[in-house]
Amino acid sequence: MTEEQIKQQIEHQFGYLKDAVVIKRARRLWLDVPMDKFEEVFVYLTEAMPLVRLLTITGMDEGTTFGIIYHLAAESGIILNLRIHIPRENPAIQSMTSKFSCADIYEREIKDLLGIQVLGLPEGRRYPLTDNWPDGEYPLRKDWKGLSTEKKGGTLNAQ
Amino acid sequence: MSILKKIIRWARIKSPWIIHFNTGACNACDIEIVAALTPRYDLERFGVIIKGTPRHADVLVCSGPVTLQTQDRLLRIYEQMPEPKFVVAVGTCACSGGVFQGCYSVRAGIDSILPVSVFIPGCPASPKAIIDGVVKLLDSLEDKPKKEMAPVLPKKELAQGNAT
Repeated sequence: MTEEQIKQQIEHQFGYLKDAVVIKRARRLWLDVPMDKFEEVFVYLTEAMPLVRLLTITGMDEGTTFGIIYHLAAESGIILNLRIHIPRENPAIQSMTSKFSCADIYEREIKDLLGIQVLGLPEGRRYPLTDNWPDGEYPLRKDWKGLSTEKKGGTLNAQ
Repeated sequence: MSILKKIIRWARIKSPWIIHFNTGACNACDIEIVAALTPRYDLERFGVIIKGTPRHADVLVCSGPVTLQTQDRLLRIYEQMPEPKFVVAVGTCACSGGVFQGCYSVRAGIDSILPVSVFIPGCPASPKAIIDGVVKLLDSLEDKPKKEMAPVLPKKELAQGNAT
């Protein structure tokens, strides 16, 4: 399946995604999806189309919104970057661990570093911040100012 | 000084046992420490032996900035060492935090937690620099007048204030 065929099939399947698929260069596609339509598009791409691998998930702080990019790949080497934007107030995404168990670690990272809630994420240890990291501090947010020495924890501060 | 204390100090200087602890380094300094200990540079000729437990060690050799996850472990290892004990910070990160200064998961250099005897800068610190640092540490333990440090610039230029 070529890039052009992927684009046509997506546009054929979802009318509202007309001209949403952008072929940036050979084997690299971008697709912006509205937040409420994300799940049906994601399921279709991974189950009915050859985009069978989840490479990674990127989280970004875009100021008023957060951007989440799901990098999906086909066996032929074509990568489709599926992007959604979620509002900054009470940000939340749906966990994709039921489809890709490898999404677990990416989603934990997004949850820890950007403070985006992941609905349906299985119970488990936090990753990658330290065990005694204070609540409500999200280091990859643009407006984060850093931790004070008291908040950095450790035995020295407790004394 | 009693003769017993003299003997103990002699033994300490002639055979300092070290424990190596990575406080969050990228492994480059660890490799250089191992290179300094192995036959090519042979730090063992000064009696330096690497030990597996802090309870047997006199010198704590740390590499890397102190991360939030290792800070309590570092203190625990330091507290397990018998007195007198010395800390050597190997590498720029261990000296000051290096490029990781201000990183959300990093506290700072080793001296933000422990008293450090010797700072060995370098990214990574070369085995020669590590040997130099260790020899300076052992020298400082000896009961003799301290050597003057060699100035970086010729003395004449320093006096004229030409140092840039």
